[in-house]
Amino acid sequence: MANFLNYRNIDFKLNGQNFYATQVSLSAQASVSPVVLSDGSLLNYAPEGAVVGSLGCEFYLTGSLPSFLNITGTDENSITANFAGVSITGVYPKSISFSVEPFQPILLSAEFDWYGNVKVEDFKEQSVSSRNSKEVPNYIASAFKSYLKTDTIFQSFSSGPTGPTDNVGNITSFSYNASADRPAFYKIDEVTPFRVGKLNKTCEVSLSSNSLGKLISINGKNASTTIYLKDFYGDALTTFAISGVLNSQSYEVSEGQYLLANASIQQTVTETKTLV
Amino acid sequence: MSYIISGLNIQNISEYDPSQQYLQYDIVDFQLITGRSVYPSYTGLGNTGLAFWFNNDLLEDFQTDSNFLVTGWVNKVQLSGNLYQDDPDITKRPYVDFNENYINVNANQFLTGTGFNLSSQTLFLCFNAAPSAANDDSVNLLQIDKELNFSNSGYLKISGEDKLGSAKIWLDDSSYNARCSIYNTPNIITLVQNPSPSSGPANIKIRQNGFEIGQYNNFYSGWMSGFLSLSGNLNSQGVAYYDLFSFSGALSETEINYYEKYLFEKYFTNGGLYFAKQNVPVSEACSPITYTGQSYWTQDIDDLFSLNYGSNASFSAKLSALNFGDGYKTNISRNINSLNASFNLEYDGLTDKQAKALIAFFENTPEAPVKSLYEGYRGVNINLFSPYKQNAELYFLDINHSTPYNNINKVSIAAESLFESNLNYKGMFVELDEKNIRTYSNTLSNFTYNDVVYFESSDFNKRGYYFYTGTDTTSRISPTNNPTGANSYFTKDFYFKTDIDYNITEKIRVITNELNGSTKQYVKDGINYNVLEFDLAFTKRSNKEALAILKFLDDKAGFKTFNYTLPQPYNKTITVYCPEWNHTYNFYNNNNISVKFIEFKGAAILETDFNTKIDFVS
Repeated sequence: MANFLNYRNIDFKLNGQNFYATQVSLSAQASVSPVVLSDGSLLNYAPEGAVVGSLGCEFYLTGSLPSFLNITGTDENSITANFAGVSITGVYPKSISFSVEPFQPILLSAEFDWYGNVKVEDFKEQSVSSRNSKEVPNYIASAFKSYLKTDTIFQSFSSGPTGPTDNVGNITSFSYNASADRPAFYKIDEVTPFRVGKLNKTCEVSLSSNSLGKLISINGKNASTTIYLKDFYGDALTTFAISGVLNSQSYEVSEGQYLLANASIQQTVTETKTLV
Repeated sequence: MSYIISGLNIQNISEYDPSQQYLQYDIVDFQLITGRSVYPSYTGLGNTGLAFWFNNDLLEDFQTDSNFLVTGWVNKVQLSGNLYQDDPDITKRPYVDFNENYINVNANQFLTGTGFNLSSQTLFLCFNAAPSAANDDSVNLLQIDKELNFSNSGYLKISGEDKLGSAKIWLDDSSYNARCSIYNTPNIITLVQNPSPSSGPANIKIRQNGFEIGQYNNFYSGWMSGFLSLSGNLNSQGVAYYDLFSFSGALSETEINYYEKYLFEKYFTNGGLYFAKQNVPVSEACSPITYTGQSYWTQDIDDLFSLNYGSNASFSAKLSALNFGDGYKTNISRNINSLNASFNLEYDGLTDKQAKALIAFFENTPEAPVKSLYEGYRGVNINLFSPYKQNAELYFLDINHSTPYNNINKVSIAAESLFESNLNYKGMFVELDEKNIRTYSNTLSNFTYNDVVYFESSDFNKRGYYFYTGTDTTSRISPTNNPTGANSYFTKDFYFKTDIDYNITEKIRVITNELNGSTKQYVKDGINYNVLEFDLAFTKRSNKEALAILKFLDDKAGFKTFNYTLPQPYNKTITVYCPEWNHTYNFYNNNNISVKFIEFKGAAILETDFNTKIDFVS
């Protein structure tokens, strides 16, 4: 009879680093389609592509963000995930996001595509000694000291980056999301990709405030800011920068609540071509 | 700058420089030495001191007997001695092919002469030697010493296995490691003979293909004699001599480079673009034509790139139809290889650097050496995608390059095959390789549905390819169930079923009488007025089934007829031939094949009936 594996005994690592995850999900999808013959019989189900796996996790940031989670960077290399004692190579990060709400610890959510075979039948709990030997993290990113830099977030849309800035009120909450498409490329006769590229890299910051200055124009409103994630005691952990355009602005009030302005800043991350 | 670079639509390609480091997929134009080449007799740089010069440029360079066997190789330097072969035994006279740029001296043939006395000289020899079959495995290139009894004086020879550390170049009894391949490829050996250098002993510096490989000190006096002989090879293939010339005195490095480059440009076919298949360190030893360099540089597309899914192949037969009326026809093949094959090769997910290398490779393909005096340039040797053959020769004709995002490129190359033959019983492109397709024997085991075997037989009707349609088994097949058995598990017929979504259109062949200003009248056009011509699709088929279908079609070569049972509601078995088909490899175990079948009126048997009614009227 198969054992039930307890949450607290399941190990989760990315590239050998411990990740203190509140949730991990692993799935695999095979794309197949039926082949029906002229006599009406079903021949088989033909594969349309490789088995593509998804890995999602939510974790507390306990140090600086590892470079392999820089979704909008140029690094396309795969990482290795260890889940329940099973190693998964060929894991490709594709998005990272988090929300900052007052007085809450900050939970980061990351999603990955993975390729290859995973021996799911070998899932097992980590040993007690292994669990006990893990280092207790000193820092956890918290909203208490983390903030979004607002003093120059919006430049005047008429005077450009050096012009006067719009006033921004008090930010009540904000969230960040960075994502990229990860197309896979295959050599003939192979079912795992030789390269997983990065396309359409975008960053987005959504924020709520009591005031966001003037209404956006047809070109949007240039915006640039930096998010500083710090632990409860103010020790800096990591930063996220965005420089894009605010292209949506909304206002909302409901019974018992203050009027809040919501906005979304989007950045398309590009790379200048290197001369070859 | 080499003309090759200037002809490409790609920037940032330069001539190979051994003092530079290169990264994977870098491209260089290898021209031996950067700089100019100079004709040996060119005096524009001053008096060169050219002492003797032999090559094969002109008819006048040879003296021959009535059988065009060489009796003399004429020295291009006036008043300087020739090389002769006046032995009455004509088997010792070399044969010169005036369509080639070399003279071959083999077995016991020889050419000798005197009057080449040079105490100090710079000698250049360009040759191509086959390995020796003799016990001592050495190949003599030349000898400069009349004292033939003195076996180690004035000899230049090569020996050893053609690999780094084994291949040797000898001066007398001193050997030096060859840097480049010494057999079956042109080589340049330069000897700089200096009896009284400014410092050190008398020496002969030896270079191979521009690389100094050693110094022979205190050389034997025979090297300063005036006797020169090209001889002494027991190897029946002998040595092909392209060019041999010498200057009095020890030339400078710059001057030596001029003349080596002349020889390289004139005789070498392995120059041109090279592609780095891994990072290349700074080192002269890593030059593209050296043994070491072969680990770093390549001109083989399969060393750099692998095909991607989406690649496809198209076949069409070049046939001339001869219509006899009543729907009867025959097809006449226009030549002995009537099946034309073209391929669309997909390379996806390339970085900008890789795309640059592939596009440069494509643009450079017409610079390949000619196949022969009577043919065009050599095609690209490439390993095709399954189930097609490895090492096919294709001509790259068109390229399409698209880039959906930074540093992601897709390149599609349209290529055509000209030299594969549908007369080869092993197959034109889907080959009897004894791995995917096996020759049947009673000891053969492990059969799965759609397996293909070749059955050998002295009976023409029984010989050929059979397809296994029984249940999967790991055992051998009993004689009753073998391809020609009474209860065979094999078939030669087209048993594959098309997709459920098919469409077949028919057009009745009628004679139309247009009544002027009135109506039309249709009259049936003899018998067999509805000959079918239709397309069928076999989509998302496994690799195994695709191999079987493609082997069947490959074997029919676009013109051989076979029986086909039409799907519901026709259900009739007709005779067809397949002049065109197309295959796309979508993904592993997902292949699309589309075929065109044309009905052939007349059964696919040795004796058949033609029902045309012939009236004899007196």
